Amino acid sequence: MIDIDFQRTQGTFNLQAKCIVDSPVVGLFGPSGAGKSTLLGMIAGLVKPNAGHLILDGECLFDIKRGIDIPLHQRRIGTVFQDSRLFPHLSVRDNLNYGFNLVPQKNRRLGFSQVVELLDIGQLLTQKPQQLSGGEKQRVTLGRALLTSPRLLLLDEPLASLDVRLKQQILPFLRRVKDEINIPMIYVSHAIDEILYLTSQLMIVDEGKLLANGKFNDIIYQPGVLAMASFLGLENVICAAVFRHDQEYAYTELKHGEQIIVIPLIAKDVGETVTIVIAASNVALSLSVIENVTIQNQLQGVVKEIKHIGYRVLVTVDIGDCLIVAEVTAKALHSLAIAIGGTLYCLMKAQAIRAHGLIASG
Amino acid sequence: MTDFISPLITALTLSPAEMQALLLSAKVAVFCTLIICIPGVAVAWLLAKKSFLGKSLLDGLVHLPLVLPPVIPGFLLLLLLGNQGLIGKWLQTTFGISVAFTWVGAVLASAVMGFPLMVRSSRLAISQVDTGLEAAAQSLGAHPLRVFFTVTLPLAMPGIVTGLILAFSRSLGEFGATITFVGNIEGETRTLPLAIYTYTQLPGSDAIAMRLVIISMTIALGALMLSEILERRATKRIGRGNGL
Repeated sequence: MIDIDFQRTQGTFNLQAKCIVDSPVVGLFGPSGAGKSTLLGMIAGLVKPNAGHLILDGECLFDIKRGIDIPLHQRRIGTVFQDSRLFPHLSVRDNLNYGFNLVPQKNRRLGFSQVVELLDIGQLLTQKPQQLSGGEKQRVTLGRALLTSPRLLLLDEPLASLDVRLKQQILPFLRRVKDEINIPMIYVSHAIDEILYLTSQLMIVDEGKLLANGKFNDIIYQPGVLAMASFLGLENVICAAVFRHDQEYAYTELKHGEQIIVIPLIAKDVGETVTIVIAASNVALSLSVIENVTIQNQLQGVVKEIKHIGYRVLVTVDIGDCLIVAEVTAKALHSLAIAIGGTLYCLMKAQAIRAHGLIASG
Repeated sequence: MTDFISPLITALTLSPAEMQALLLSAKVAVFCTLIICIPGVAVAWLLAKKSFLGKSLLDGLVHLPLVLPPVIPGFLLLLLLGNQGLIGKWLQTTFGISVAFTWVGAVLASAVMGFPLMVRSSRLAISQVDTGLEAAAQSLGAHPLRVFFTVTLPLAMPGIVTGLILAFSRSLGEFGATITFVGNIEGETRTLPLAIYTYTQLPGSDAIAMRLVIISMTIALGALMLSEILERRATKRIGRGNGL
């Protein structure tokens, strides 16, 4: 459990964050310049707050009133930096050993070979950092931090400098770290799908303020959050049970309430609950069921809220036990005469839905 | 053929006095480099990383010998460490040590003159080490002192080595401060430059002076080339960039 209460003023930028984090993996989400990295830096001990305190698992690491400020190297908080920061004069093996050798035997929770195997970096050990690809560097950096057996792992946009293909390669490793090693993590990103891949627990930061803290579905519709999130590519998260697989056409049907959602075939057993993700911009609205169309998902719902953000409109639709946000143009809203309380259909292409059965539910 | 080679050998064979000057120069330069090594890195680190009261004064004092005529540092050393000097007198009466007019004094004189070169180069190298790497090392549990020795120092090494070689070369060429502080005593303080000066003052010794000039130039050129090679090799070893 982390008890955070920070305040820091730097120039005209004022950062304030007060919260209790008690889930193992938390995503810290917000636009660039929102204060995510500063907040993370204050937890790590890299940045000094002007006021407040930080208590990690009952141990006070920082308290301005009591004059406590445990230095960075004694906090036992691991950090994975966006720019990897591997030591260029050391081999991959020596980089990994750098922190590992400083941890007393009895405090080691992970073995060298265990981490090397987990992150699949065995073939890189003799190389120098500058010989590695971006994805390999981030795996080594992650391994280096894990080997210090930290009490808390901070990941500061570890995938931001990688392209989409590399991200897809690294994310499963992060997922393995989460599933196989019980180290609490705070994952910073401005890409919500990355976060949702690991956890649905979010802390949302904007303009130096902590806007919300809780489960994605509970907080995303809170005032201020939705508008901010939509700028960064808003994603809908829907929980549904596997209903039926069709091997011939390679699709899976999910059941959400009484409605069926068709997605590309996934390897999950019937009855299992999966979480699926679809971008708000990939959801279209219609007043009636459309025949003769390739879009297979037409979920009926009731309009809950209509929010204007510039020329874009976010329409929140209740499809029964779940809210879906559709991003439409103001013109479309007007010509369809969509109003709160009206019934309509959310159209979603099966291919636009990401499931892989891997999106975090906890 | 032999008629051609034997005069050449004679021409290049050093007389005992010349050999003595050469060896003395080498001894002074080696000791000079050794004694400024640690203080040089320490001052470079202070100037590169810390802000404190009197920093610009320290910076100025360290660099002063670069811009002053060498006779001034030599004279000040004499006032301070000479047998009648403030510290020199105390050293003499307490420990019976005298550095004035000895080769140790010559080492001190060239150390004062070479120090700014060493500090300049090392300071630049230390300030160019990515602070992100140092922070990363600390977050891995390393005490700041360990970070200095395992991250900062190795990464700054090319610049530090360059600084040491520059100071070494400066020591080989030191003239003004040395002759002012420790004089020109054959076998004790007469280094190569002083020997050259002496021969230029002796009628008919131009050839000997020229020979020592060639030796001096060869050593200086060699040292500069060595520093270039070492720096290139060290840069390659620690890798370019910050590991990104």
